[in-house]
Amino acid sequence: MSIQKSWGELLKMAHACRIVIDTLDALEEAAVSGVSTRELDRIAREHIETAGARPAFLGYRGFPATLCISVNEEIVHGIPGSRRLAAGDIVGLDLGCVVDGFYGDAARTVAVGDVSDQARRLMRATREALFAGIEMCRPGKRVGDIGHAIQILAEGHGYSVVREFVGHGIGNSLHEEPQVPNYGPPGRRERLVPGMCLAIEPMVNVGGPEVEVLADGWTAVTRDRSLSAHFELSVAITPFGPWILSDPYPYPEQEGESAHA
Amino acid sequence: MPEAARETLEMEGTVREALPNALYRVELLDEQRTAITAHVAGGASLLRLRPGDVVLVQLFPYDAGRGRIVRRR
Repeated sequence: MSIQKSWGELLKMAHACRIVIDTLDALEEAAVSGVSTRELDRIAREHIETAGARPAFLGYRGFPATLCISVNEEIVHGIPGSRRLAAGDIVGLDLGCVVDGFYGDAARTVAVGDVSDQARRLMRATREALFAGIEMCRPGKRVGDIGHAIQILAEGHGYSVVREFVGHGIGNSLHEEPQVPNYGPPGRRERLVPGMCLAIEPMVNVGGPEVEVLADGWTAVTRDRSLSAHFELSVAITPFGPWILSDPYPYPEQEGESAHA
Repeated sequence: MPEAARETLEMEGTVREALPNALYRVELLDEQRTAITAHVAGGASLLRLRPGDVVLVQLFPYDAGRGRIVRRR
């Protein structure tokens, strides 16, 4: 049911994902106190277009920008605008691009200046949850194992995971089958097979898991207005384990089509 | 960019026929009166349904022709 990519297609995915990560690196540097979220969006677009790619979010279901910026209690899908970042904010930067028909998608939450211990712990736990999920990206595991690993880790820190938004397959479109929830029982849902590509993206709240979407139709905030963090990477399932597509291929002894089957 | 979670689609239907292997032919109460093959969720599969029973069915996004009977009404 899910589309298995060939080695050549995985290399194209990796290229798109690399551009996204390079852009996020630049944005992280630029996300300082006083900068407007619209300015970050401009930097993101310029960076992606200079790299020969096209923004993936711009126009997607009517989303008006290149970058999703979600500050503090905003979970995801924040629209860039006139808001200026202030010291102590945590800022979710979510970005996607298309090159040669293949999509890359990644996100991270960064700190502006000095942030509270609470915020720092939340960001660390969310990132750990992402990697706990990625660790499950092996043939024979199932989509439910990913969500379970993420939920256990996040709730182990006393946080909650968002239910209304989920990770997704990625490839020739931004959102492909299967959906990848960040919670649920292990051993359920679709079986993972080599050549699948998934965007794993835990959204973790300090307070409750409930979500509210603001009047702009996009910005999702925590209903209790508690802090929320979001980390995302696009990952390919290989016969040997996960390949974080923005990283170099991690199993160099087995490369090419033979690495794929 | 996270995707909005797809909710499981649930719909009422009427059992038309009991098939082998605890499967049932269920006619959905949608406009087309679509007929699907459905299995019964969990331990409730021991409970035999009869033609005419009204049931709540979960539909799968991947296979429009199949469903899962959650409960009898």
